[in-house]
This record gives sequence, structure tokens and C-alpha cells, in this order.
Amino acid sequence: MMKSVMEVLLLLMLFFTAHAKEKSYSPPEKTTQTRCRSPEKETFTCWWEPGSDGGLPTTYALYYRKENSETVYECPDYHTAGENSCFFNKNDTSIWVNYNISVVATNALGRAFSDPVDIDVVYIVEPNPPEKLTVVVMEDKGWPFLLVSWEPPHKADTRSGWITLIYELRVRLEEEEDDWEMHHAGQQKMFNIFSLRSGGEYLVEVRCKPDHGFWSEWSSTSYVKVPDFFSALIFLILTWLLHMNSHSLKHCILPPVPGPKIKGFDNKLLKNGNSDEIFSALVVPNFPPASASKYEEMLVEYLEVYVPEEPELMLEESKDLLDGCLKSLNSRSDSDSGRGSCNSHTLLMDKCGETKEEERQTNRESSLMETQGWKEEAINHDTSGKVKTWPSVYSPLPQYGSNPLDKQSSLETAKQHSLSTSSFLIQPGTKDALGPSYTDFCLSNKENHLHPQTLAHRALQTRSDVNISNIGCKRSPATEYVEVQRVNKEDMVLLQPVVSRCGHIEGCPNLPKGEDYSKLKGVDCDNRLLLQREGTGEDVCPCVEQETNREGGNCYTSSTVSTTQKPTACMYTAMPLQEETAVTLNGYVDTATMGNLPSC
Amino acid sequence: MPGTIRSVSLVWVVLLVCLSSRRTSVGAAPICTNGQVGCHVLSLDNLFDRVIQHSARMHGISSDLHSEFEQYFLPSKNQIGRVGRICHTSTIITPNGKENAQRMAREQLTEVILKLLIAWRDPLWHFHQSISHHHDFNNFSSNKALEMNAMVHELRQGVEKVAEKMQVLGIISNSVTSLASPDVLLPSDSADWRLMKDYDLLYCFRRDSNKVQNFLKILKCRIVPDHGC
Repeated sequence: MMKSVMEVLLLLMLFFTAHAKEKSYSPPEKTTQTRCRSPEKETFTCWWEPGSDGGLPTTYALYYRKENSETVYECPDYHTAGENSCFFNKNDTSIWVNYNISVVATNALGRAFSDPVDIDVVYIVEPNPPEKLTVVVMEDKGWPFLLVSWEPPHKADTRSGWITLIYELRVRLEEEEDDWEMHHAGQQKMFNIFSLRSGGEYLVEVRCKPDHGFWSEWSSTSYVKVPDFFSALIFLILTWLLHMNSHSLKHCILPPVPGPKIKGFDNKLLKNGNSDEIFSALVVPNFPPASASKYEEMLVEYLEVYVPEEPELMLEESKDLLDGCLKSLNSRSDSDSGRGSCNSHTLLMDKCGETKEEERQTNRESSLMETQGWKEEAINHDTSGKVKTWPSVYSPLPQYGSNPLDKQSSLETAKQHSLSTSSFLIQPGTKDALGPSYTDFCLSNKENHLHPQTLAHRALQTRSDVNISNIGCKRSPATEYVEVQRVNKEDMVLLQPVVSRCGHIEGCPNLPKGEDYSKLKGVDCDNRLLLQREGTGEDVCPCVEQETNREGGNCYTSSTVSTTQKPTACMYTAMPLQEETAVTLNGYVDTATMGNLPSC
Repeated sequence: MPGTIRSVSLVWVVLLVCLSSRRTSVGAAPICTNGQVGCHVLSLDNLFDRVIQHSARMHGISSDLHSEFEQYFLPSKNQIGRVGRICHTSTIITPNGKENAQRMAREQLTEVILKLLIAWRDPLWHFHQSISHHHDFNNFSSNKALEMNAMVHELRQGVEKVAEKMQVLGIISNSVTSLASPDVLLPSDSADWRLMKDYDLLYCFRRDSNKVQNFLKILKCRIVPDHGC
């Protein structure tokens, strides 16, 4: 019985011992990964990673030594910071002091020392994340931006300068995960984020780091939505407007290049190929103008005047008339041709008798306008630039009664074709008496020839009868012609009427008997010859004077005498004078001198 | 053509010279010390910012050098040597915490800063000498050591100016003595820096430069607080 009990016990013991041998107990392994951190450089915490505990309950202890001291201290607080940690509070923390920390694991079978760690609190600062992150959508000139602001972690004392923190932001759109945009904010506690997408929802986070330490964790996320902004609408409107006006805009910016077009040119004809047809279409009808009538109208002209009995009329027409205007002056015979030219005076003198005869005849032949005092002046310009004039001579006829006598007494200027005429001048005083007056111009500085028929239209008529204020002057037997008496010192050509009827003329002290003179005083601004009365007296006789250049010689110069209403003043005919006077063989003086003209 | 090019380039040169001279003249305006004419007066705030930046830079260089040393000359993990290390400036009593630092008077704090800076003048020079002669170091380290050495000088002058200005403004009393010789500062029984190894020297200097920077910051935020504080 005893034996059996003993055997059962032995068996049981063996069983248990065998069972017990399967578990092995060992001393603990040393801890690893001792890590210490300080959030604000005033306290710090160390954590460790326990190793195997060897199967037995193990305790951990942290010991530290301060710099250059042999004293070993144990961790004051194992619980505040959680499991496997050691918390050093402010009293136990020294900055700029080297801590040598090690963790010891102890169990029933032994203990294990961890590797010691040297730390200086200054270099293990890892702050808490920034706090109170706010994000606001602001607008800058219509464009939105995010105004992000935050505060340092409340534990970190930045106000006293104990800790200096620098910050960093990150932003992303909600839909784009992991696509963060980083921004470094330095020491400032606010930041602006631009270039936002309208209508987008953004996430913003911030973290901080001391100048020598570790980055904090990212703060809690702030969400913000950017509204669709105003300028998008404007943009839409603009696009719409552009679209509506695209056509006109296109024309404005890129104007269509005009294609060449020839009037009358038909592309199709070209293709078809008959060149005659094509080019005939190009021919413009009526060009160049060929008709005479048109041609004539382009004529220049000038006129002259009517001589009542004696063949004073010097109208000339010449066959050249037609071509006259268009031909150059130089091509034609000049004023000396005897037919009377633009350059010559209208009056034919006895001395130039034969020409006069001719002229008379021709004049007679031509139908004339029997005006009573046609006057005109024309300024002829020839191509060489000379101004040639043929002044018309006014007859100082009495106003009333136009009888032959009057007519006779009128001086007229025979006009002829000037080689070139360009304008007429009407004496101002005679304007009143003018009936229909016309001025015509020679188209070019060419010869102009008067066409008898056209004369009527073109002639400048003045009635000398009305105008002749020769009350005081009885030049009744009007001398039609004047002749040059002499040229005086002042380069004035003194004229005298051909017919020595001027003997009656009173008040012409300087005139030798039977001679009339007209003395030209000057040319006024309107290019009119100013005739000067002889002598000082103003009343009397409208002496015909003419001023020509020295070369007047014996030639008769035509002069125009205008009589004004006022008996006192001499009429002045202005003749533009040019510097040179061509003295023609025929005795005509080309009164083309401007030499003595006063400057206008 | 070449004539015009020459004249144009001449004009440019003149302009550049004028501009650069203007710039240099602005930058080189001497800081007024005793109310001189034509000098650029810095505010205390400005002075503080300058010295703080300077000290930050100095600390940065010392950190770089220290980590370089750790790479190339991995000191053994044997703790005996490390524990035995004593910085020659350990005799200078410095606050070891925030409260201590804030409790310290301005004058004291200023003096501590100056003492530290003065204490490192000679050792750094020697350190630079030994590095430049040592073949193991590259030029980069040597240049940094030289720069560090120069910076200590300049920073000390800067801090002296700040102290001067503060005294003038009446912020601190005149008890801050003009610190001339380092021997005066360090007690005779302090460790001789000559015995220190280069690595330890660097370690100590890194720490001390950090102290300087931090104390300056505390001083500034106490005396002329602004948004940076």
C-alpha cells in the first residue's frame, strides 16, 4: 500500500518536473532605443523599449548621471509619461548639461543594462505642434488668397526669448491627396497663400522647430473653401462679347487685304483668252479728251478789248488759240509776232504801224464785243517765270453817252493773245461798272489765244464809261494808244498818247503838248499797276502812267489807265512788273518788270 | 559706330561706379559711438538683432565642425573619456535653466556673455592652428575654424557695443567692467584648455556658443521686446 502511494508520488513529481523544464527563465534582455525629448527645453522625457523579459516579471529602472559628476540618480517619475518612460521635471532638468542615461532591466534571474545615452537637453527639443491655426480667405484686387495664422505651442516660451521657433506650412486641395505644397514661414506667425483655384477646398497644416532641434508634428488640419470669384464672371462676359464681335474684331486686327481690281477687267475673259476683248474693256472712253469744245474750255484766256472805230480792237484770234493753252509758251512765237501776244501791250502804236494794221484788220474781222471798255489785264506767266502782262488800257471816257466819240476816246487795250496768261485783273474801281464780268484763266502758262467767240464769255468787261471819273479831265478825244515818251530816271516809262489829243488835258504839267503820259508809280499788293498822276496835283487828269523798266525806250508800252470815281485820285492800274522787260523789235515793251515794285 | 558704343559703355561704367560707391557708402557708414558726424546710428534693437544673428551663425559653424569631427574621428563609445571631459569655461557660472536665466540681472547676464566670448579667443586660435597643420582635415574644416575664430572676435566687439549702448541708455548700470584679459576672468584653477583634445574643444565651444546666443536673446527680449520675442 505504501509502495503504491510512493510510486504515484514519484510519478507525479516526475511529471511535474518534466513539465517544468519546458519553461526557461532568464535574466531580462537589456532595453533598447532610449529616446529622450524635451518639448520646451525645460523638461524632458525618456522612453525605452524593453527587451525580452526572460519570462519573469521584470522591472525597469533608469539611472542617470550628470556631467562630470559621479552621482547616479534614478528617474524621478516613471508614470507621468506612460509606460516605459521617465519624466524629468523642471527641477531635475539642467540645460547645457550632459546627461548620461541608462536603463536597467531587472528580473528574478538577473538584470541588464542598456546602452547609455548622452544627451544635452538643448539638442533634443521637439516642440508641440503650433496651435490655433486659422485660415481665412481674403481678396487682393479681385484675386483671393488664404491668410493663415497660428500660435506657437503654449508650452514653448518664445516670449522671453528662451526658445526661438521657425514654422512651416503645407497646403493641398482636398481631392489631391499627398500633393502638398510646402511653405517656409520663418519666425512669423502668419502667412499668405496665393494662386488659389476658385471653388477649391483646401487643407492647411503647420509645424514648428526650434533653431537647433526637431520638427514638431503637423498641427490639426484646417479646412477652407475658396468661393467662386467675381472675375470669373467677368471673364465669361468678355469671352462672350469677344465671340459676338469676333467678326468685326477680326476685321479690325487683321484687315482683309484688298485684292487688286481693275475696272472693267474681267477675270473670266482672261481665262477665256481673247486678249483684245480684255484690253478693250480697259480702255476708258473719252480719254484723252479729244473734242475741241472741251479743249477750248480749257483755254486760257484773255481778252481784250473793244475798239469802236478804229480797229482798235485787238482781238485776235489765232488759229493757235486752240492749241494755245496747252502748248508751252516757248513753243509759240512770242509776243512779238505782231499778232499781239500776251506779252505785248494792247495798244498798237503808229510806230508799230504795220502790226497795228494787221491787228486792226484782224480785229475787225473778228467779231467783237463791243463793249465799252473792256479791260482786262492779264498776267501772263510764261514758263520761264516771267510775268508778262498786258495791261489794258482804260479809256478815260466820259460816262455818259457812248458814242463813237466816247468810244474813240476810250482807250482800250487791245488784247491779244498773250503768250501766256494766267489771270486777269480787274481794276477795282471799274468793278462797279462791270456788267457781266468774267475772269478766265489760262490753264497753263501757255499761250492763250483768244477766241472771238469765247471772248464774249470770257472777256472781262468793264465799262469805262461809268467808271471814268474823268470829270476833271477832258480827255475827250480819248487816246487809244499811248506811246512811250521817254524813260525817266526812276525807271519810269512815261507814256504819251499817240494821238496828241491830250493837249486838252489839264493838269498835266509834265506832259508836253499833245502828249499824254502815264506814269506808273508802282504795283500794289494785288499785282496791280499803280499809275501816278503827273505832277503833284491830284485832281485832274488821270494821267496814264506806266512804270516800266528802263528799257521802255521808244516803244509804246501799254498801260492801263483806270479812272476812278474820284476825280482826285488817279486810277491806278497795277501791273506786275518783272525784272526784265523784253523790248521787242516791234516796239512793244514787255512790261514784265517787277523791279520797282514795292514789296507787298 | 564704335565711337557710340564706347561712349555708351563709358556711361554705363560711370553709372555702375556711382551706384556701387553709393551702396558701399551706405553700407560702410560707421556706427556712431560717441556722437560723431556722418555716422550711421543704430538703435539698440538693431544692435541686438545684429549680434544675435552673428551668434547664431557662429553656433552653426561650430555645430558643423563638431559633426564632422564625430564622423571622422568617432570617439570610442567608451564613456570614461567623455565623462571626464571638462570645458575650461565650466568655472564661469552660467544659468542652467530658464528660471535661473530670467532671475539673473541684466548686467550679470551681459557679463557672462562677455566672459564666455573672451574665454574662447585664444583656444579657438590655437584650434585653428592645429587643424590647419593637421593633414587629416580638409580645407573646408580649416576655413570654418578660421571663420569661427574671427567671429568670436567680432561678436565680442558687438556685445561690447551693445553693453555700451545699454549703459548710455541707462538700462544697465556701469558695473560691467571692461574686460581686457582672459586671465582676469578665469580663476587660476580652471582647467587648461591646452590639455583638451580637439574634439572636446569643439564640443565645449558648440555649447558655449549656444549659451551666448540664448543669453543674448533673453537679454533682448527683456530689454527691447518686439514681435520676434
